[in-house]
Amino acid sequence: MTAGLILRGVHLTRGTIPALRGIDLTVARGELLVVLGPSGAGKSSLLRAVAGLDRITAGTVAIGGRDVTALRPGQRNVSMVFQSYSLLPHLTVADNIAFGHRIRGADRRAAADRAAAAAASVGCADLLARRPHQLSGGERQRVALARALVREPDVFLLDEPLAHLDAALRTSMRTEIRAVHDRLGTTTVHVTHDQSEAMALGDRIAVLRDGRIEQLGTPDEVWHRPRTRYVASFVGAPGMNLLPADGPLRPPGTAAGAELGVRPEHVTVIAAGSTTDGAIGEVERVEVLGEDALVHLRLGAHAVVARVPARTRPAPGDRVTVHVADEHLHAFDAITGERIPLPAEAATR
Amino acid sequence: MNRDRRQLVLMLAPYLAGLALLVLLPATATMTMAFTHTDLIATSEFIGLDNFAELARDPAVHAAVGNSLSYLAYSVPLRLVLAVGLALLLHRRTRGAGTARAAVLLPGAVPELAYGLMWLWLLNPLQGPVNQLLLLGGENGRTMFGTLPPQWLTDPEDARAGIVLMSLFTIGETFVIVLTARLALPPEAYEIAELEGARAGQVLRRVTLPLLAPVLAVLVLRDTVASLQASFIPALVVTNGGPPPYATTYLSLVIYQEAFEYLRYGYAAAVAALTLILTVMAVLIQWRLLRRWAYHGLAGMGTHRLWG
Repeated sequence: MTAGLILRGVHLTRGTIPALRGIDLTVARGELLVVLGPSGAGKSSLLRAVAGLDRITAGTVAIGGRDVTALRPGQRNVSMVFQSYSLLPHLTVADNIAFGHRIRGADRRAAADRAAAAAASVGCADLLARRPHQLSGGERQRVALARALVREPDVFLLDEPLAHLDAALRTSMRTEIRAVHDRLGTTTVHVTHDQSEAMALGDRIAVLRDGRIEQLGTPDEVWHRPRTRYVASFVGAPGMNLLPADGPLRPPGTAAGAELGVRPEHVTVIAAGSTTDGAIGEVERVEVLGEDALVHLRLGAHAVVARVPARTRPAPGDRVTVHVADEHLHAFDAITGERIPLPAEAATR
Repeated sequence: MNRDRRQLVLMLAPYLAGLALLVLLPATATMTMAFTHTDLIATSEFIGLDNFAELARDPAVHAAVGNSLSYLAYSVPLRLVLAVGLALLLHRRTRGAGTARAAVLLPGAVPELAYGLMWLWLLNPLQGPVNQLLLLGGENGRTMFGTLPPQWLTDPEDARAGIVLMSLFTIGETFVIVLTARLALPPEAYEIAELEGARAGQVLRRVTLPLLAPVLAVLVLRDTVASLQASFIPALVVTNGGPPPYATTYLSLVIYQEAFEYLRYGYAAAVAALTLILTVMAVLIQWRLLRRWAYHGLAGMGTHRLWG
């Protein structure tokens, strides 16, 4: 089976600034890949390279087994949903969805029928007669989704489509994007800077940094086995705690010069004195997030965040014992940032 | 009156005072004068509708109404098409675009009188560069199209065309507004079209023009109002209303001649009133035609920010 999308050695330069520096990426047909990274990492450039909106300076792009590197955007059969302005303001919802078919010469009636079907498939059939300025933000992106779907594209490109929606809507829309994808099975590349969106949505996640892919893997792999220190600190809210190997947590068998990482979820905080196993720290600040609380601790010279159940949280100023199970420790090379296998990890493998 | 309204009134006050003193008051005086015989020598006397009765019989006014409307009908659309064309051509930051933009703006910076005098030379049928250019490649004193060269200053049709021609180079303001409006359009709208494989013509028809529609509608209305006055200087300087009898006599020129050459202020005021009525009618008709077309674009533009 041919892959849905293959990028090989893709470089892209914006002005004089390199935006993509050698992207190799294969997206399986029907897969939903999330590209995750902070702003400026090259996420949008990656999508625009696939769409052909920006000309790549080196490498090849193949969609559905067809080399499209030299083709114009209109010949690539891709659809794109933008962060904003995804609709034309002077057209009704129906005309917006039918726009592409009309451009390509479909007659008015046929285009309208397909637009209505696409609108129904994402639940905005009742909006067909409206104009973009009469829609809410969520409705607009729903219509933009329908506009992109109606083409039956080979690849579906979503450029932070949820970034401008409020939190509640963002969560429900991402569920819907996943549902639409599962129903249609179109190869999809979804760009976001929101790591929870990436975890919830993606079959796989590509973490992008400075125009390179830092890690490509399933949400589980990215979460449990971050390939670099950067991925470890970017994925997770808050990200992984990073401490020098000769710091307060000292698992057996770590090389000097390594850095240790531990997710806040895996830091256990116990009232001081009840056990001798662990490091002694002091609670600086506590943020309650409903069910959980984030406890900001100071272990000697180092700051550590722990996520604990809010019911059993310590108070600021408390002296506590901090404990981390060996299997929850990650180690990274202090210089290259690459992951170093720990004995505990090797054992569980 | 609440705070906001009071503040609004205060801020508008200087402008409203100027408007009342410099526009409404003279306008009212003019409208009143239209019903009088005023020559600034004898005391003015009220003569009812006599000025308007004379105006209805006056061949100069008849010719002027026709000329003014024909000028409007040619000049307004041609100016707009030219300004839009140039703006869309020059909106990209390419080599020479800045120079070209400046070149489009420049004629509008020339003082009107100097501009008129310049055209008097340009349109000279024998030595004028315009006809010299047209004669290039032609034979036996004919133009490259095989026609006789236009007699800009002596043939009525050619003279009217000459006045329209002059108006086509002072489009700087319209050009700048269209250019700015084009630059403000969201690039995503063009990328949507690009992804669907739209050709240049389709992009123009289905994206650019509809999105610019509200701006273009306002420009058409504004240019219409202006065009009934804009023909004045060229007609005075270049053709002086001729060739005889009234080939390039426009309403604005009639007003000027009646008032300042014949000192018939009352009659001139009546012609001014007629001009006002024609202007209002032209604007109303256009607004009715343009309203539907421009409305949705306008509403859409207003929500661009909400959209983001």
